[in-house]
Amino acid sequence: MTGPLLRVRDLTATVTTRREVIQAVRGISFDINADEAVGFVGESGCGKSVTAKTLMRLAPEGASIGLGGSVAFWGQELLGLGEDEMRDLRGRRIAMVFQDPMTSLNPVMSIGAQMSDMLRRHLGLSVRDARARSVELLNLVGIPDPARRIDDFPHQFSGGQRQRVLIAIAISCEPDLLIADEPTTALDVTVQAQILRLLLRLREERGMALMLITHDFGVVAGMVDRVNVMYRGEIVEAGPVDDVFARPQHVYTRALLDAVPRLQGAGAVR
Amino acid sequence: MTRFVLGRLAWMAAILLGVSFVAFMLMRAIPGDFAIAAAGSQSVAPEVLATIRRDLGLDQPLMAQYLSWLGAALTGDFGKSFVTRQPVLGELLNRLAVTIQLTLLAAVIAAVMGVASGLAAARLRGATDWLVRLWNGLMLAVPNYVVATLIVLLFGLYFPEITVLGYTPFLESPLGNLASLLLPAFALALAVSVTIAENTRAAVLEVANQDFVMVARAKGLTPAAILLDYLMRNALTPVITAAGLKIAALLGGSILVETIFAIPGMGQYLFDSINSRDYPVIQAIVLVAAGIVVLVNTAIDIAYARVDARVQM
Amino acid sequence: MQDSAPVAAARKGAGITQGWLLLGVGLAMLAAMLVLTIFAPLVAPYNPSATSPDSLAPASAAHWLGTDSIGRDVLSRLIVGGRTTLLITVSAVLIALVAGLILGLAAGYMGGRTDEIIMRLLDVVFAFPVLLLAIAVVAALGPTVPNLILTIAIVYTPAMARVVRAPVLSVKQWDHVEAARSVGMSEIRLVLRHILPIVVSPILVATSLTLSQTIFTVTALSFLGLGPPPPDPNWGGMLSEARQFMELAPLTVVGPALAIVFATLTFIIIANGLREVLDVGSVR
Repeated sequence: MTGPLLRVRDLTATVTTRREVIQAVRGISFDINADEAVGFVGESGCGKSVTAKTLMRLAPEGASIGLGGSVAFWGQELLGLGEDEMRDLRGRRIAMVFQDPMTSLNPVMSIGAQMSDMLRRHLGLSVRDARARSVELLNLVGIPDPARRIDDFPHQFSGGQRQRVLIAIAISCEPDLLIADEPTTALDVTVQAQILRLLLRLREERGMALMLITHDFGVVAGMVDRVNVMYRGEIVEAGPVDDVFARPQHVYTRALLDAVPRLQGAGAVR
Repeated sequence: MTRFVLGRLAWMAAILLGVSFVAFMLMRAIPGDFAIAAAGSQSVAPEVLATIRRDLGLDQPLMAQYLSWLGAALTGDFGKSFVTRQPVLGELLNRLAVTIQLTLLAAVIAAVMGVASGLAAARLRGATDWLVRLWNGLMLAVPNYVVATLIVLLFGLYFPEITVLGYTPFLESPLGNLASLLLPAFALALAVSVTIAENTRAAVLEVANQDFVMVARAKGLTPAAILLDYLMRNALTPVITAAGLKIAALLGGSILVETIFAIPGMGQYLFDSINSRDYPVIQAIVLVAAGIVVLVNTAIDIAYARVDARVQM
Repeated sequence: MQDSAPVAAARKGAGITQGWLLLGVGLAMLAAMLVLTIFAPLVAPYNPSATSPDSLAPASAAHWLGTDSIGRDVLSRLIVGGRTTLLITVSAVLIALVAGLILGLAAGYMGGRTDEIIMRLLDVVFAFPVLLLAIAVVAALGPTVPNLILTIAIVYTPAMARVVRAPVLSVKQWDHVEAARSVGMSEIRLVLRHILPIVVSPILVATSLTLSQTIFTVTALSFLGLGPPPPDPNWGGMLSEARQFMELAPLTVVGPALAIVFATLTFIIIANGLREVLDVGSVR
């Protein structure tokens, strides 16, 4: 394992659907070190989600992504990696939490089954061990009465609880890097803070790197060490989060900061 | 949930009642005398005719006749055939067994062909998708009896040594049974498989776009696991429901296919009894066939409601 | 991944163009059929009932599709037979359409008990497999042309009524309907001006689909011997009669088969074209 956890250089991504071709990411470079939390802030369409999916090499259904540049994970180049090897990496070394908890769980599988399948796939656990581990994980993310609820189905949980479950799934195989793509956007304001606190706690407990993606500057405050501001597929400003907050250089950064209601300032999440 | 089931069952009973009424009334609406048909010939002495009328209860008011027929039917007594003078029930059951074999085989063939081609079209896209859709579009325009006739023609022209007509009972030879039913079942299944294919394709395409499938991929699961647990489990539910409702089409179509392939099923029985004006048989067949369709549809409705409750939330 | 707005619009546009294409092809096919059948006596080269000693002949200049077992010209029989088939089909579906419209509008608009009663009665008819019911009724009443038309109309009315009822139920709540009602617009005008237009699109599609299904039912009935009585030739009957000697003269089977498929395909293509053009929820 050489170098930083993640080293991205001149990454470009061209998304081709059946009807159109979009240059979603136009040459960005950044690092993420082990045990570091980095925020990616920008409005919808700025390319931050595509960047995240690119790291996992997940093209949306019905589209293909043409990639350029370099993505090195612990020194290993990901962009040319075969699909089989990529599959071994996904969930095991790099994991992702998505935006909408209401649609991110399979409605016809129990929560336990959706956690176990991953554990058994990557860690080779037996059915019984996987189940036990799943109960532990549910407990860890704060689901009450996990031993009974493990057999429940997604529709029996609230939005906030489903997001906890999804986080539990994401960290279940002890990944080195957790990517959280707008993890709180679809949740109630009160629940948002809870989820962010959970992510913070898990990160501290496990020494996991975190890539937090959001359109809301208020969310990254207190959560990350550094922040990258994205606009139209490029990183327009980067730096330690406190610096960027205090002395925004780019016009766009200032606009984003202004969009945050003052009541929810830098100290909100601490 | 229980309330729904009970409601559905009550509804089913009501429909069956209506069906039985229609089945009964149809036969009474015939021009010409019911009793004459029972006698089997036009020239029959008036006293004999009067006796027949009394025996069959034809001098009773219509509703009373209906109720007594219904009461008997519920115990399995459909009266005696005008042609064979034997109880209708025995022959009906024999024929029903054959038709059920044919229909079940057709259902299996339709399901396998339909799901496979729909899945292939949805996942492989491109040329496969185009071909499958073209085939589907064309096959919808070819009625099952045309397919059946063309199959018999094809075999008659190019493989005259193979017998495609006729039926071998299962107890006589299981393999022969399957062989005799294979082609007719295929003819019956073709149109239905096309509908299933279109449904499957649409369902798979829609499910593949869902977030939880992306999550499954992000979890690093194998393509097989994703296909089975995440895609198919969700896609097949609406497909199965729609497919189940096609039982009606299969039963109706079997009448034609049985005639063409000389399979002694209920369809043939209906056809023969219409030609010989064997009214008790016609009534029984209409009631039983429609009854089966209603039963199956109700069962599917109930089954679907159970699954739907989970998916809707 | 959701389409962006301009992409969705483009995709819809492409669908509509495709729709017009299908519609064009379908209507052309329909026109061809109509011309042939309306002018059947003029177009048919032979009298369809004229027998000849030249039986089971293969295709030739004299007989484009050969002859059947008693020497009748297949092509002429197909053309004249098409007339009867289409007559029954179109009449039956028109009746089903009108009946379905009335019942569906009544059920959907008046709602409540009327709706329940109507739909339950229709459900009893709907519960029968189409062919089974048609066979039973025709067997009971006798296979004359009017009976056939009536039977098929009855069999397809419930489906039509359902298609009409659905949009009516959803439209009833719309604001402009409420507004019109509050201004005191008479009920009938309300139905005609506000509700009817909504119903038109799905009804058009349903009608073409029903036409294609009716071709199947009519030809199936005549295949079983329950169709229009002789001497009227009809496609189903021709197919059935041909079975006896079909290895000797495949055209006697292939001819009617192609005719049936052509007619069915015409209405299916029209239905699909209408679906795209009128943008009635379709499957992509």
